[in-house]
Amino acid sequence: MEQEQELLDRCLAGEDSAWEALLKSYSRKIYNLCYRFTGRAEEAEDVTQEVFIKVFQTLNSYHAAQGSFGTWLNRVARNHLVDHYRRARKDRVTSSLEDELPEAEQLPSPHMEPTGQVESRERREVLQQGLDKLSPDLREAVILRDLHDLDYEEIAQVLSVPQGTVKSRINRGRLELGRVLKRMEGMRGPVKAGNEP
Amino acid sequence: MTHLEVENLTSDYLEGLLEEGLRKVVEDHLNVCSSCGEMVEDVRRAVEMCHAAPELEPSPWLVKKIMLATVGERKPGWPERLAAFFRPTVQPRIAYTVAMAVFSLSIIVNAAGINLRHLTFEDLNPLTWASRANRARHVYAARAEKFYYDLRVVIEIESRLRQLRSHPEEEQQAPKQEPPPGGSTNTAPPPFPALAANQTRIVEMASTRAVLHNGTLPPPLIESVRSQNP
Repeated sequence: MEQEQELLDRCLAGEDSAWEALLKSYSRKIYNLCYRFTGRAEEAEDVTQEVFIKVFQTLNSYHAAQGSFGTWLNRVARNHLVDHYRRARKDRVTSSLEDELPEAEQLPSPHMEPTGQVESRERREVLQQGLDKLSPDLREAVILRDLHDLDYEEIAQVLSVPQGTVKSRINRGRLELGRVLKRMEGMRGPVKAGNEP
Repeated sequence: MTHLEVENLTSDYLEGLLEEGLRKVVEDHLNVCSSCGEMVEDVRRAVEMCHAAPELEPSPWLVKKIMLATVGERKPGWPERLAAFFRPTVQPRIAYTVAMAVFSLSIIVNAAGINLRHLTFEDLNPLTWASRANRARHVYAARAEKFYYDLRVVIEIESRLRQLRSHPEEEQQAPKQEPPPGGSTNTAPPPFPALAANQTRIVEMASTRAVLHNGTLPPPLIESVRSQNP
């Protein structure tokens, strides 16, 4: 915590190497968050870059009393993702599950090529498609809880909503995700969870 | 318990956050309601998939892209510039050449008598280098010559002493020297008669050494020479 604060102080003092170290520490986490929201690697990279530009410009507004830097960073990223989603919604044609079925059928069948790598990639894509079907409110709650392992209090800080709302959104998001994944599974066969044999 | 109530408690049930009594009630319902059991199982699998999802690796140039977009082209510091300058010299072939060049330069600087801490314009003149190198050559030659003569005298003294020690009978037969007439106050007999016999020679050699060394005779030797050669 002290090291992190020292790093932030050096960043605020204009030390490039400190800013680079900060980027190396957090870029992966933010990239993953962005990827889960956008579902596209290139778009996630662009959004990650925009998030860090915003962080660079507003770093002096962060105070340790507001909570940990990681939580603050997640909040900045989340707010930016919401803005990004609103901008992109106008341009993007939201497709139904049935519309994406041909694309889903292009995925290699586990019976054809049962290697661990292919299965892992398939699971990742199925999960991402399932998350894409959720509404943004539910999706962000599930992502922060189940993919980023944040606790309820941190999620409440990031989303700026009460903990009760967070719990409710997570529950509804999980229920919805379970239904979506089951429907997808029914369309193209069972997909194993990560820790299943 | 209704289906809707079970739905609302699904996350807490799966995370083990329900109190014992409530958990029992939910489990009782799940045992008799297949649709709710199926729903809970679907959620459990979805959560497991999320937890098992590997963290994705961004492209390696992402950090550089962000650096470029925020702080711009990062200027390398002095240590990095120096490292970049000397990087080629780390290669063995070039390192050998550089080492030889430095060695040669140090020899030239040393021979030319150039003090690198107090450089003057005169030090940059090649004629000055030549004259200083010439002078340094003569000084080194003189020192070598002096060292050679010093060594010769010492070896000669040592050989004489060794010779005297190896033939003690000669000491007995050695003629007792008469004290020099007048002048000398040193009436005590010398501790080694044989040494006394060769004292003149030793004094001569020591005198030569002293002259070579200092250019003058030390006072005790002058006294000794006077006593031997009145």
